[in-house]
Parts: sequence; C-alpha cells; structure tokens
Amino acid sequence: MKATMSDKPKVKVATVWLGGCSGCHMSFLDLDERLVELVKLVDITASPITDVKEIPDVDVGIVEGAVCNDENEHVLRTLRAHCKVLIALGDCAITGNIPALRNQFKLEEVVARGFVETESTQVGDIPAAPVVPALLNRVRPIQELVKVDVHIPGCPPDADTIWFALTELLAGRMPKWTEKNLCYD
Amino acid sequence: MIAPKKITLTIDGRKCEGQDGQTILQIAQANGISIPTLCYLKHLSPWGGCRMCIVQIAGSPKVVPACSTPAPDGKEIITQNESLQKLRRSTLELLFSERNHICPFCVMNKGDCELQQQGYRHGLDAISIPYLYPAWPVDLSGKYLALDHNRCILCTRCVRTCEEMEGTHTLDISNRGAKNRVVVDLGVTFGASDTCTSCGACVAACPTGALFDKAAAFRGKLGTCQTVRTTCNECPVGCGLLVYTKENRIVEVFGDFDSPVSQGHLCARGRYETWAEPRRRILQPLVRKHGKLEPVTWDEALKVVRQAAKKATAAQKAVLVSPRLSNETVATLKKFERIGMFVASNEAALCANNDRSPDAMAKLHDADAIIVLGAQPSQAQGVVAAKIRTTVRVRKAKLLVFHTRKSDLDRYATICANVVSLERKFWSRVGEELKDARRPVLVYGPEAMTPIGVAVLERLVKIFETRNAGPAPALIALPTSPNSLTLAAGGIEPIEEVGPWLDAKPLKFLQIVASDEPDGGARLLDEKYVRALLEEIECVVVQAAYESRLTGLARVVLPATIWCEKKGTVTNFEGRELPLQAVLPPRGEARPDREILEAVLK
Repeated sequence: MKATMSDKPKVKVATVWLGGCSGCHMSFLDLDERLVELVKLVDITASPITDVKEIPDVDVGIVEGAVCNDENEHVLRTLRAHCKVLIALGDCAITGNIPALRNQFKLEEVVARGFVETESTQVGDIPAAPVVPALLNRVRPIQELVKVDVHIPGCPPDADTIWFALTELLAGRMPKWTEKNLCYD
Repeated sequence: MIAPKKITLTIDGRKCEGQDGQTILQIAQANGISIPTLCYLKHLSPWGGCRMCIVQIAGSPKVVPACSTPAPDGKEIITQNESLQKLRRSTLELLFSERNHICPFCVMNKGDCELQQQGYRHGLDAISIPYLYPAWPVDLSGKYLALDHNRCILCTRCVRTCEEMEGTHTLDISNRGAKNRVVVDLGVTFGASDTCTSCGACVAACPTGALFDKAAAFRGKLGTCQTVRTTCNECPVGCGLLVYTKENRIVEVFGDFDSPVSQGHLCARGRYETWAEPRRRILQPLVRKHGKLEPVTWDEALKVVRQAAKKATAAQKAVLVSPRLSNETVATLKKFERIGMFVASNEAALCANNDRSPDAMAKLHDADAIIVLGAQPSQAQGVVAAKIRTTVRVRKAKLLVFHTRKSDLDRYATICANVVSLERKFWSRVGEELKDARRPVLVYGPEAMTPIGVAVLERLVKIFETRNAGPAPALIALPTSPNSLTLAAGGIEPIEEVGPWLDAKPLKFLQIVASDEPDGGARLLDEKYVRALLEEIECVVVQAAYESRLTGLARVVLPATIWCEKKGTVTNFEGRELPLQAVLPPRGEARPDREILEAVLK
C-alpha cells in the first residue's frame, strides 16, 4: 500500500479565501479523519490553513468567497493562471451570497453605513490608505470573472459533499451532482 | 347530464386514460407520472406562467405547458428528454438570476421552498447567466404576514388564491418586464391595505419565501414537523386545521384541504389569532388568600371549591359556561342543577330554533343569489364571508345585504341596506333583483331575530312567495358562538344577558367555565351590573385558560386547556360532527374542562 502511494506523484492543491466567512474552509476541516487519508494523496500548498501566501503551479485550485475588492480579483486571477482545475467552494463563490447583498446599494452608501453611520461610531473615517484593497462597485461570483470547472454549492457545503467532489476528481472523474448530494440538511 | 368523453393518450410511452377537457398535467398526475411544476396548484385555476411543466406533443415543433393545455386525444406526449430538461434548467436559471434568492437566510431554506427543490431536482449547482441583484423592498407592515419581493418568482399563486379562495382580490401584479411585482391593493403595504383580511391563504400558497408568516419564520422546517389535523373552534363553521408542531411548539397553522367544510381555507382568527397573538396563560390553580390570588395545588383548589359548593343549597349554586365547550361536556354539565351558557346578543333565539343547515358551504358555492340578513360573516365567520365573496365575484352571483352595521361585504352587494327602507320602490327593486334567481340562498344571523330583522324577513318571504317561478331560498342559520347550538340542544339554557339571570336567584356559588375564550370571559363584565352582582356572590370560581379581568375577581381560578390541547367533538352550523384533536400536551397544570367539572362534582 505504502509503496504504491509513493509511486504516484501527489496532487498539488492551493486554496484561497476571498470575500467569505471562512465557513467553507471550516467545512473542509470537517473532513476530520478523512484529512489524514487526503494528505496521503494531495499536497496542500498555498492556503489559509497552511498560511503559505505565494501560489505555485498546482493541479487543483479551490476558491472560497465572492470577489469583493481588487485584491480578491488579483488572487482569483493568479490562482486561475496557476491551476489546471478550479473549484468554486460554497455559495459566496458561486452566487455572491451574503457579501453580494450590498449590490442592492451604492458603494458610497455601503461604506458610509459601515464606517461613519454605525450606531457605535462617534467620529467615523472611511479607510483610504493605499494598502487597504479597494472595494469593487459590485460584488461578483467568481464565474463572472474566470472559468470555473467544478461548483460545490452550499452555505457551507457539507464535508461529505466536499469529500465526494474531491474523491471524484482524484479518481479522474468530474463530480456529477444529483439531488441526493446537492440537498443536504 | 352527458358523461364527459373518454380520451386515451400516450405519456412517456405509457397508455393513459382521461376525460375530455382534462389537462395533460391532470392526466399525467392521475397516472403517477410526475411533471415538475411551480405556478400550478391543484385547487386554483391554471396559469401556465412558469414554464416548468412544458412537455412535447409528438409531431408538434412547439413545447406546451402541461398545466394549461387540454389533453389531445390519441396523441403521444413526451415529458422527459434532454431538450426539455435543458429548457427547464434555463427557466430555473432565469428565475434564480432575476431576484435575490439567497437561500442561506431565507425562511423557506432547506426543504420548504419549491424553487430550491426544483434546483436540486435539476442538478443546478451554478447558473450560467449573471445575477441581477435588484433592490427590492420587504413589506413587514402586515400584522401576521410579510412580503419579501426578493424571493418572488411571480407565479401568481398568491394572486389567484386571493381572488379564488378569499375573494378579496387584494393581491395582483403590477408593472411590466423586470419591474413586474406583486402589488397589495393599488400599491400600498399590507399594513395599509383596507381589503386584506389577513386570512393568510396567500402564505400557504407561496412556493418560495416571498410571502411568509412572521410568527412562523425561522421556527423550523415544516418538513421535519409533526402534523395534526383538528377543527377550528373559534366560530360555528368548524374549518379544518393542519397544525405543524415541533418540540411541543406550534410552528405553523394551515388550512386542511381534506376538510369537507373549508377545503383548505381559513380566516385570520383560525389561522393566526389562536397562536400568533400574545395571551397570558393560566398555568396553575390559584386561590384567593388575604385578597391575593396565590398558586396552590389542584387538590387544594378543588377542596376549596367543593367546600364552597357544599355550603350553598342547590338553588344557590350555578354554572355559567362558554359556548366553546365540546359535545362531550354536555352530559357532565347536566349533572349541575342550574346551568347557563353565555351567548352573543340576539343569539338565544337562533339557539332555540337549533336550525342546522346541511351542506351550507356547498349551497353558498353554487348559489346565484345570496341574501345576507342580520349576519356579519366578515367579522364572525371569515370563511363563510370568503365563500360569499368568491361566489359573488368569481361565479357572478347576486348579493343582497341587509344589516344595520356596515361590513366589507357591502361593497360587493347589488343591494345593500344598512338602514331598512319601507319604501315600496326599494322593495320592488329587491324583487326585481331576485326575480330570476334559480339557486337563492338566505344567510341569516342573530340580528335577523330582532324586530327589524323579522320585518325584513317578512318582506323577503313575500317576494319569494309572489315570484312566478323558481324555488324558495335555501336557509342558512349563522350563529356567532362556536358550539352554542349543540349545547342548547343538549338542554343548556342560552343567556344573552347575564345580569338578570344572576339576579333572578341570588347565588352563593358560581362557577364560570370560560374555557379558552380569548378574552378569558371578561366580556361578561362589559354588561351593566354584572361586576357588582358577581362581587356579591360568596364564591366565584373561574375556569379559564387566559388571564383576564374576570379571573381578577375570582376566589378560585382553575387553569383550563386551550384549542390545541382539547380532545372531543363539536358540531358545526351544517350539523357535521367534527373532531377536536389534541395537538400538544396541556401546558403547565391545565386540565380539560370536562375533567375539571367532574372533579368539582365529586
């Protein structure tokens, strides 16, 4: 068993966390003991979990979150350029979800509400430092900017659903969704 | 009558039989073939708007909606293939992109939403067109129901329900294209609507989270709730309730479509007031000690009651009951020497007649002229009012209203007399209106028993007698108190004025069985002198579910069960015996009315 494992080169994976709550990464960690099995087969490179920031060339890129600011967009495009298969993990990446609620308002209204008009704020100031990523006018799901190969929907997706998608990919198949593994609760 | 022609068609390779005039969907469903739908509801007229139920008729290049296409005899229908699947998926993508269907924080998330279910069913993991993220308002101004335009798919199930079940036509669709929206009246909020009756039928019809009950929101997924069918005991109509519960809490109340009386419909009283209104329950027996009501055990409370009862002679003892009691309590009540039942004003005569109106709802449904005399169904029997409205508006019957007070039915009436005129001209107009009625129905309430009511009745009788042809009207007696007719028929004396009844034979012991009267029976005190008369009685025992001014002057308070904890039967105005099923166990130490009465008698 061990011999065959080392024969096969490990699949390289990078994950990124854009505009989301990290719940999808938490759900990924909910794979629990299956994580042990997974790291035998894959190499997790850049990821909020490993805290490696530079994205190398990988086989699979996993994206949590919507595109809310220019940094999100930069990270997304970099990952797309460096990976063969791109996975949109969770509803924010796929639909915009909660972050996209602000699309119903003008950007100025949103920042004013968040930094100036908040009930707990006495003297508010809208951050303007160049190191702070600039917000986009409109929050967008990732498939509006790049090609997405696999969608894993859910808020967050169930660990079993993530496991199903990953094992299918590792077996060389594209995951095919059915009512059963899309609807979990 | 000619029997409808039989037709045969092939659906997905299966031979299916049906009747001429049935739609493709009806025949498919009758033969166990499932076609996805969104805007279709069995009890409403078909709309054909959502395009989920599209099918192919072999030989035709077009796809047709199965819900609104008459089944073609001898043809072959295809309901499932790749191109239909693709079209349905595109329809879903358009629906999801159009508004903000953000499932994670929707009241209908996880199983209750039909749009979400269709998404699952069609393997929708993402959509290929951009989301529009439009800014739509949420109307939370309604007392019980709310409208979130972000979730609306414009299926018009609410609009058709409002028109075809409640008959108010409060809801409709306004504007065009992407601005198409459900509108309340002429563009007001639910709170400002003067036609919405808060019946909640639209909420029950909504496939998504667009229309929802404020009280039910986020209380739990209906799919995981337990359901119990019982009967609404708020008025004598006896509508069927389908109650959803979770962890001994009511999550939602819907109308029971299997009910022979209401066929799925309810009014605001039955659907909301019984559980979505804050009311203070009495949870344990109370006995007055040093001027203050103190909680005690049942044994102690019953001991006080029995002792007080024993001290009084038979003539000094009485029981005054609410007309909400079940049929089963009649036998127990008769063991008491003196029993009265408090009813609404002018209702005693209706009770004395014990007029039952078999199939009243069906007769109202089929009527071509409805006369309402001295009844206020919009206020007292909402589902009867809905039936009258739909018969008048949808089935185009004539409506004549004779009542001293205004009601919302007035606006649908051909003749409405709030002040009865004695002019010959007026009555000849009434006669003219009723001249051609073939299925006339006369609905009369308590106020038909007043001198004015009787005068109008005499005139109407004359009109029908002097008509050249046509049948006499079907008579429907409409009392306002829930089970008053049955109790009166069982020998319980109906009392309109409690004061004289109390004063006739001075009492030492009085037990008031208010049961689950929403006001705790406090309306008794609205009558002149009643408070003073009650204060003179040595021992007043109040058996009630809710705290009130009445419990405030009792010596002993005994906690009673409420509608959802009761078991037994009631008989409705049509004479149907309907079951009361316990939905929840009694709260606190509350006990059923009959059990308490038996214990007092011991």
